[in-house]
Amino acid sequence: MRSDAEIKRLLLAAGARGEGSAEAFEELYKACAPLLFGIAQRIVRRREVAEEVLHDGFTRIWSAAGRFDPLAEQPVAWMAAIVRNRALDLMASHDVSRVDSYQNFSDDEGALDRLFDWAPAADDEIDAGRTTRWLRECLGGLRAAERQALVLAYDRGMSHRELAAHLAQPLGTVKTWVRRGLANLRTCVEECMGSAR
Amino acid sequence: MKLARNRRLDALCGEYLLGTLRGAARRRFERALRDEPQVAARLRHWEGLLIPRYSSMIETPPPASAWPRLERSLELSRYRTPWHRRLSLWRGWAIAATAAALLAIGLQVLPLKPINSFAEIAQLSGPGDAARISAALSADRRTLELRATRPVLAGPAQSYELWLIPAEGGAPVSLAVLGSLDAKLVLPAAQAARLTRGAKLAVSIEPAGGSPTGAPTGPVLFAGAVGA
Repeated sequence: MRSDAEIKRLLLAAGARGEGSAEAFEELYKACAPLLFGIAQRIVRRREVAEEVLHDGFTRIWSAAGRFDPLAEQPVAWMAAIVRNRALDLMASHDVSRVDSYQNFSDDEGALDRLFDWAPAADDEIDAGRTTRWLRECLGGLRAAERQALVLAYDRGMSHRELAAHLAQPLGTVKTWVRRGLANLRTCVEECMGSAR
Repeated sequence: MKLARNRRLDALCGEYLLGTLRGAARRRFERALRDEPQVAARLRHWEGLLIPRYSSMIETPPPASAWPRLERSLELSRYRTPWHRRLSLWRGWAIAATAAALLAIGLQVLPLKPINSFAEIAQLSGPGDAARISAALSADRRTLELRATRPVLAGPAQSYELWLIPAEGGAPVSLAVLGSLDAKLVLPAAQAARLTRGAKLAVSIEPAGGSPTGAPTGPVLFAGAVGA
């Protein structure tokens, strides 16, 4: 993976729609497609559907690159959100049942460290490095059930209903886990920010 | 939907980022994102704090066919740098390669002292591991010889066209229309004089008989800088 600064440069060059925009977009694709395809596959679970998600996702990235705000947004997160949203839309419209394929997911905290990269990136600003550390600590401090619900929902794109089926819990219980997990996470991260000032 | 900056907005941002906000509620939220700047700003705030970076372990190479399909459907060829401007990017490499080749040829050829010896002036390389073309100029600078590392023959409906891009810039000048890239051609003196260091040679694919416009119309297969 290239540095965020390089990805930003490629995104802006693609969005400029001038000479060389196609080359920049191709570089961007080479650098980011494996990650975005991985994300799509984790959500939709079927390779051919993930290919559609990747295609639609990069089509949107190309058309929206001119609106990317380099001062306010992280480029990879920005692209990942586009691909995730497309994957979630597609799942909603296809109503595919995917619950069977999650049997192997375990909620040890180690899963958090296998899935996500918590090391500060080389070109992170100091603030970004700190918030990454806070998020990891706050996730670790959640109740296991809340954490598991959040990770499954984010990583696997599970709806409340799928979570309930997968975790064999009533829908209301799962909704509460998600709501409380998110609220506790927000509070914890904001407290870290407050005490750092 | 009017959403004040409050706990309810924060909760919606969280469920949206997580992906558990679905259906009509998700679409309402996305409308608010477009219409209400403070909603977008709040979402961005939480996105920066709550969304972790995926580890590279989840990377999965997409099928090789995915990029060409994307390139076609977005018509990306419209946004490519014109080829004769792109050449300068790897001119340095071509000069170094030429210098190395000259050295190698010099060692072999000089002792024989042929009557009209050829000296390589450029190596034209193509994409990937395609054949390479060596361009050599005779000692009297009248004859240009092209040699391909592998036979390169034009199909019945196409020709190769050899172009010179002068060192001082400007439009490509056609040197020859060729059916094969193993060829010898006699150069008009005016064009031979322009085969100087910094000029470039390129081969494009054109309709049979050569470019109908006098300028390259097809893709460039091989290109390289003149190093001597």
